[in-house]
Amino acid sequence: MASVVTLPLTLSASPSGWTKPTAAKPSSPSQLPLYPAGPSFISAARRQILQRSFEEDDKHVLAAREKEAAAKEDKGDGLSYPGLGEEDEPSHVLNQDPKEWKKQDHYAVLGLGHLRYKAHDEHIRVAHRRKVLRHHPDKKAAQHGANDDSFFKCIQKAHETLTHPEKRKQFDSVDWNIEDEVPDLKSLSPEEFVATCNKIFAREGRFSKVQPVPEFGSLDAPKKEVEGFYDFFYNFDSWRSFEWHDKEVNEGSDNRDDKRFTEKKNKSERTRRKKEDNTRLRVLVDDVLALDPRIKRIKAEEKAARDAKKKGGVNGTAQNKPLSAAEKKAAEEKKKKEEAEKKEAERKALEASKGDREAAKKAKEAARKNSKKWKKAIQTVITSSNYFQAEGTSPSPAVIEKQLSELDLLVELLEPEDIKDLKEKIEKAGNGQPAKSVLVEKAKATGEKGQGKFTEFA
Amino acid sequence: MDSQCLFTVTRTSAVIELRRLKTKERESTTTNPDREKQSRRSKMTILGINFGQSYASIAVIDKASWIGHPQCIANEEGERQIACAISYVGEQVYIGNGAKPHLVKNGKNTIMGFRNLLGHTYDEVDHTTILTAPLLADSQTPAYTVDILVPPAPASKSASNPRSAAASGAATPNPAALEPIPSTKTITVPEVTSLFLSTLLNSATDFLGTKPSACVISAPTWFTPAQHDALRKAAEDAGIAVLQVLDEAAAALVGYRVGDAGENEKRDKKVVVLDMGETSLAISVIQVSEGQYTVLNKGRDDKLGGREFDNLLLKHFSKEFTKKTKVALDLPCGPDASAADKRADAKLVLAVEHTKRSLSASSGAATCAVESLKDGYDLSSSINRLRFDGLASGVYRQVGNKLTEVVKEAGLDLAEIDEILLAGASTLFTGLQQHLSLLVSPTTPVTSTIDPSEVIAIGCALQALHLETLEDGLKVDDVLASIKEKVDVTSQPIGLVLPGQQGDELAAVIVDSGAPLPVRRRVAIPVQGVNGKVALELWEGKHEVKIEKVERPPLEKTDDDEEDDEEDEEEEDEEVKTPITKKVKALGGVEVEVKGDKKLILEVIVQRNGGLNVKAWQEGNEAASDSFEI
Repeated sequence: MASVVTLPLTLSASPSGWTKPTAAKPSSPSQLPLYPAGPSFISAARRQILQRSFEEDDKHVLAAREKEAAAKEDKGDGLSYPGLGEEDEPSHVLNQDPKEWKKQDHYAVLGLGHLRYKAHDEHIRVAHRRKVLRHHPDKKAAQHGANDDSFFKCIQKAHETLTHPEKRKQFDSVDWNIEDEVPDLKSLSPEEFVATCNKIFAREGRFSKVQPVPEFGSLDAPKKEVEGFYDFFYNFDSWRSFEWHDKEVNEGSDNRDDKRFTEKKNKSERTRRKKEDNTRLRVLVDDVLALDPRIKRIKAEEKAARDAKKKGGVNGTAQNKPLSAAEKKAAEEKKKKEEAEKKEAERKALEASKGDREAAKKAKEAARKNSKKWKKAIQTVITSSNYFQAEGTSPSPAVIEKQLSELDLLVELLEPEDIKDLKEKIEKAGNGQPAKSVLVEKAKATGEKGQGKFTEFA
Repeated sequence: MDSQCLFTVTRTSAVIELRRLKTKERESTTTNPDREKQSRRSKMTILGINFGQSYASIAVIDKASWIGHPQCIANEEGERQIACAISYVGEQVYIGNGAKPHLVKNGKNTIMGFRNLLGHTYDEVDHTTILTAPLLADSQTPAYTVDILVPPAPASKSASNPRSAAASGAATPNPAALEPIPSTKTITVPEVTSLFLSTLLNSATDFLGTKPSACVISAPTWFTPAQHDALRKAAEDAGIAVLQVLDEAAAALVGYRVGDAGENEKRDKKVVVLDMGETSLAISVIQVSEGQYTVLNKGRDDKLGGREFDNLLLKHFSKEFTKKTKVALDLPCGPDASAADKRADAKLVLAVEHTKRSLSASSGAATCAVESLKDGYDLSSSINRLRFDGLASGVYRQVGNKLTEVVKEAGLDLAEIDEILLAGASTLFTGLQQHLSLLVSPTTPVTSTIDPSEVIAIGCALQALHLETLEDGLKVDDVLASIKEKVDVTSQPIGLVLPGQQGDELAAVIVDSGAPLPVRRRVAIPVQGVNGKVALELWEGKHEVKIEKVERPPLEKTDDDEEDDEEDEEEEDEEVKTPITKKVKALGGVEVEVKGDKKLILEVIVQRNGGLNVKAWQEGNEAASDSFEI
């Protein structure tokens, strides 16, 4: 915040003829190390990090201060709690015996009967002060001349108990003015059931070490909330304890054994009560769970969802009142199925193509084998025609070789069917010149592929 | 009676199913930011550690007083000044003040003065100054070797007292097996530091009942970043949640809450933090600008410390002893002195420590008594403050000279210093405080309102509190990282000149030099009997010191170097120095229409880039303002 310092100067009217000096830039900044310490450094860092200008920062600081001041005012000296501790004081409260403090309702004594365990320390402090002002023995003596401070003692005892956290806990644990009746839950309608349970569990929740306690919730609470609620109460961790019911150890007695016996008895009694209380709560939760209409609803919903899922497998999206989850599941199922089908088809196609290829391969193999056979036949014809040479002259090896290699080439170039055709034709034509003419014709038929490659069969 | 009631679910599948989604949801419903903050505050316990070379002190802020009252606490031995010493004696380890006496008998196994070695490698350490356990030569980090006794194997522990076992007639165990085994232990400087700091943490934890949730630890002003890191690491190894390693000078400033006092305090001050500990003297000249501390200069003398006073007292008492008993004793003795002298030295050192403390604490005479100091003769003597100040005037003068030197290096004159803050236990001597106050101008306070031996620890605790209670969701690391080593500051003061003003001085300084940018200042100037316009000029200035000769010698001497004795009065003209701000160049002016006697408000903002925003208006009439920007 900007603090304003008053300078030890006094301003007088500006002299006539004064003009503003022309603006000049101040010397450029120099660099010095800075200690990262102190509240001012932190404010400067805050302005820098949050990128606030001085004005913006002022606003934030002012707002924070106002908030703090408001919070402080709230806690003021009791003026902020009108009516606190000013409940009616029935005669049975006023005429209590201070010695019977164990039976005393401390909240009623302080006029906090409507708040009870919800009263916080400030309430107790304020209420106590008001009660003391009203019931102080000095004041009473002045008013009525009576010397009766028994109720004042009660007030002091109540204050002592309620301001001591441990003692207050003990008293709250056994506060008999808070009813803990559980009506017959079976006879209630669902709406009534929920309302009653909300009340019961708000009451029970005050003993929880873990705060805040989840509410019982409404009739249409989602599954998660319902589950959370039961989960909490099945794992309930209670601070409730039963020291209040302890039997007083006779302080006057010297008998140590007596004392120890009482202490031991008290202890076992406390444990028993605690156990009982735990069991009570668990049985209560069990009963409520068994009767809870919401659990039934959730189960039904889940069943519907499951059914929908099943149905969804048969007839797709046809569903009258689909649960979104079930629908989703069904859709998913469908998608899965489609996918599977697609996959199957692909696999089949793959298989089919594989078969085709294999067949083609087989055919080719066969053709190759056949063409060999046919070639041999053609060769036989050529040989028996004395390699198309004049009768009586034996063909020169070069010619033989050439003709054979050309035959090979021819066979290679021709399709298996053509070779078959050639073989049939050549066999029909018979040995000699006609066979050669068939060969020449076939060599010509190879066209471009065989151009210029054949000399003997050209 | 707090037994949990945990039930197991045996019914209904619906409930069994939900077991899985448990905790997370519940947590999210239970956390409520306000409540969390409150619980954090109520849990918050703060620790500040002043970790000196010779002594350490700790301050805490706990729940009961967390509104900001740090408290320097004593450790379990009842010591607020905890000696930084560790001594290994056989199977025992003494830490703190208990370890100090062992320096005499068991110097080889006593470790002291380890802090300054942090973050150094072996070669960087000056070995001649180490009197304690030897440093190992072959390790990267400096390490000590000490002789220790390892306790015997646990099997023989049952018969720990062999003599009684023998006397009772039981089977005599082998005595050799029961003896602790002599061994050596190597411990590095960071380990020593962690060990020592963990004892400080234990003391604080015992006091608070819980472990402190945040801590700031001090480091000397001359520590390098590497040494800072080493110290932080050592502290973290000791299990301390370190928020920041803070300069001792800064801790002292935070401890004295300089610049935090609101309008009663000058907004721009030049202060000197004079930290004189047991072993060394550190002087920092700081420009305080509305509670931000910029460092103008730092100086250090690592030979000048409380030990000097010890030596003076040692010398004094040994002379006294010789005079009384005719037994020759010349202390402090060198390393080649006789065993008797050395023993006398050790005895007197411990006794003198006490004398020194009572000298600074009370105005009466302080006693010193040692039984059988030498040759069976006892020493019983006392010394009063006057005598001691006479003895120590040489040391006082050295401190004064160092102060003058450091201030001069910062480009300042002693007359310009607005305050001297004292830290460190050795500054507790009233004689020293008087000597310092004579050096500076008579209006300059020499502050020791918080016990100087505790102020650094208290400052550390306060700083930890400030960092722990950051508002607006700021993170500690971000805040500390928001500045680099050096920041932009105003180089020259900016001030006011009234129109028609005579002389060459500024009428008032609004933003002093050395203020971190951006800076905003608001001043109010009373207006009287004006119904029209008032004008103001803004000027940049320059600090100067005006020296005036005054005829009559004032009672106090100011900058006198030759003051050997009290009776040596010099009757001559004295110089009176007053810091002034000369005007250098005009930056601009404002002119505002005023009505009535309401004050004129002038706002000056120096931007991060050095630019200037000036705005002036009459209180309650911000609409009619005059402003200019550069």
